[in-house]
Amino acid sequence: MADYVLSAFTWQNGLLFFIWTVITLFAVLGFVTYAIYFERKVIGWMQLRIGPNRVGPLGLLQTVADIAKLLMKEDIIPKAAVRDLFIIAPALTFVPSFVVIATIPFSESITFADLNIGILYYLALSSISTIGIIIGSWASNNKYSLLGGMRSAAQMISYEIPLVLSVVGVILMSSSLNLRVIVEGQLGGVWHWNIFPQIIGFVIFIIAAVSELNRTPFDLPEAESELVAGYHVEYTGFRFAFFMLAEYVYVFAFSAMATVLFLGGWDAPAPFLSFIPGLIWFLLKFSFFVFFLFWIRATLPRIRVDQLMSLAWKVLLPLSLLNILLTVFAIEIHKWIA
Amino acid sequence: MKGILKGMGVTFKAMTDKKVTYAYPDVPINMPDRFRGIQHFDPEKCIVCNQCARICPTDCIQLTGKANPDPTKKGKVIDTYDINFELCILCDLCTEVCPTEAIVMTNNFELASYSRDELFKNLDWLNENNQLIRQENNSAMPKKGGEK
Amino acid sequence: MAIRTEELLLNVGPQHPSTHGVFRVVVHIDGEVITSSDPVMGYLHRGTEKLAENLTYTQIIPYTDRMDYVSAMTNNYVLCHAVETLMGLEIPERAEYLRVIVMELQRIASHLLWWGTYLLDIGAMSPFLFAFRDREMILDFFNELCGARLTYNYMRIGGVKWDAPEGWIEKIRNYVPYLRQQLIEYDALVNGNEIFLARLKGVGKYSAEDAINYGLSGACLRSTGVKWDLRKDRPYSIYNRFEFDVPVETEGDCYARYLIRFAEISESLKILEQAVEQFPAEGETMGKVPRVLRVPEGEVYVGIESPRGEIGCHIISKGKDKPYRLKFRRPSFVNLQILPKLLEGETMTNLVTILGSIDIVVGEVDA
Repeated sequence: MADYVLSAFTWQNGLLFFIWTVITLFAVLGFVTYAIYFERKVIGWMQLRIGPNRVGPLGLLQTVADIAKLLMKEDIIPKAAVRDLFIIAPALTFVPSFVVIATIPFSESITFADLNIGILYYLALSSISTIGIIIGSWASNNKYSLLGGMRSAAQMISYEIPLVLSVVGVILMSSSLNLRVIVEGQLGGVWHWNIFPQIIGFVIFIIAAVSELNRTPFDLPEAESELVAGYHVEYTGFRFAFFMLAEYVYVFAFSAMATVLFLGGWDAPAPFLSFIPGLIWFLLKFSFFVFFLFWIRATLPRIRVDQLMSLAWKVLLPLSLLNILLTVFAIEIHKWIA
Repeated sequence: MKGILKGMGVTFKAMTDKKVTYAYPDVPINMPDRFRGIQHFDPEKCIVCNQCARICPTDCIQLTGKANPDPTKKGKVIDTYDINFELCILCDLCTEVCPTEAIVMTNNFELASYSRDELFKNLDWLNENNQLIRQENNSAMPKKGGEK
Repeated sequence: MAIRTEELLLNVGPQHPSTHGVFRVVVHIDGEVITSSDPVMGYLHRGTEKLAENLTYTQIIPYTDRMDYVSAMTNNYVLCHAVETLMGLEIPERAEYLRVIVMELQRIASHLLWWGTYLLDIGAMSPFLFAFRDREMILDFFNELCGARLTYNYMRIGGVKWDAPEGWIEKIRNYVPYLRQQLIEYDALVNGNEIFLARLKGVGKYSAEDAINYGLSGACLRSTGVKWDLRKDRPYSIYNRFEFDVPVETEGDCYARYLIRFAEISESLKILEQAVEQFPAEGETMGKVPRVLRVPEGEVYVGIESPRGEIGCHIISKGKDKPYRLKFRRPSFVNLQILPKLLEGETMTNLVTILGSIDIVVGEVDA
């Protein structure tokens, strides 16, 4: 697929790009639909409930019905809201979440864009979403959403740094910013995966990424018991759906990213298991992360704002710096021995 | 970190625990016999003593009696009997004071309706509400006449 | 040039998920820090005390159910106890045991509800449903006993309305070890969680002196090291027959209040265990009470330990079948008065933590 990107831009190619984009969009939408269903089921099970079971067999159409409801709802824009910004914010939040998926290599062959700065592209674009959240919260002209937006801004600034630094270890090990190269560096079974040499980086990455996703226990921007719903208090109908969609697409992107960086992407855990296609392995590892996110959501209480900040600056930042240092030393010692 | 992991263990284990959800509208919930639901009224038994209307803390019962149509018998018979379920708090006091068990509780509890007017139940409706009538009544009444 | 900053006035409530009903706090916030706050109550005011003046004593009982609707049995009891004290009635043994059993079950149910909702306030979802599963069982016991799950109207002046149905006592006996088992699980789920501890420790702190000056009672008072439980210190009913401890903490913060309520569940289980053991095999459930209750002229105040603190009932009787004046000392209302003091200088997040730890029921605050 990467060859297409490199080929000359003609009408046929343009059409092909477009078709592929639409296919990916629908794949992602399908994922989001069933991720929400799965989340509600899993959390339901953990809470001694059975989760959605009314719409369709086993409640499989529940999310479809919810989305249909959101789309048919009246579109309300508050009178005191800043109209243009209010409209643009959900799109600004959603678009980067979808665009970052382009760089993720799902298997040996399925890669949309084989960028040599894949990681930077992902990290840079994903921060734009926060700007959408801040714009939306400010434009709503609601005090609760403003507080949510401010929290979101503070959170983004603090956690972007440990997130990037935690990945540096992986970059050093594979000497590349290209996600496909990073995966290829880990091929050959579970002992080659980055998770073991980079365990500190992995933990920091998970914490920082959950925080970037605004999910429990770091869901301060939308803390429903304090700020009611935070930044999307005033949003209804399909605009609200876009915020929701962005959140779940980021769940997709984050899980895919963690799989690629630390769990060896499409690599089989042992060489004799490699008869199973790489895409399946990718999906398994990916599902594990998705499940993990739901699991912590069902268990953990929410952290406080000041604790969130001190965690980022006093714990995660020094740890990630230490991790880089250790990685550098390890690589140098390795070279020296060899 | 240890505490968090312990907590996550509990939620993980709960995934296989017995689920407690009721399949309520599909499977009706059977209330225990003593359950205080919508009253059933039996006009045959009523002696129009007015005690239920007097004891009601929210004044939701209105009743009128008329002279007994059978001239050989004394006393009154019930003419109208209305309970306003906008007000009724199902406190059980009316059934407690009724000397003849003319008004008794049932186990039916589905009172939701689209209109307030439907919550105003008259004698016929209360008489027809004769399913799942409570078996055990008047237990708190001082036995025989009260003053002992 | 300094940046011009302004305080933000934020209305928390009356419709807000963490105010536990229709309660409002007007807060001035500077960033996330609360500079001053002004609680507004009265949205659920129904004038119970005034209504009671026109009702006979029996008719007031269902109204007390609706004050602290999470703990209706103790409300029932405080009214009955006041009237009985004034009339000098004797309560049959079996009725007293039934009263203690339902009151302790109610205390457990109330604390479980508090536990679940408090963790929901803090952001953890699952404990809420865990707690409701076990509270549901208690409500089912009550449903079986008196035919209602929330507004029981169970106690009567001179006794209780219903005797225990067949096998009911046995069910309670089995419930005690079951809940003990569950409490271990709850403990593992929440009490060691680092995020949870960080959220609670040192938040909403006050001294024993403050607590007494504000007239706090219940867990809010015991969290500061004052060992004051009316079941022990001013025994009523048959509480002097049971062995139990009064959990006390000295910190005076949200975590101390949390620990006390959590420990009180186990203590109530102890009482239940003994009460079930000592439960008389037979006997009346209703004392000798005249058909029309005429309370002799006089005044009485009784206070009992509700799950939230000291709930008191003050009756002035002029010898009629209706009270001349009736006043409830409502623990939620009194405990809430310390809120503005605690909120000063705290963050928005701590507002929820502190308000939840005071454990108010708005039906009781507003009566």
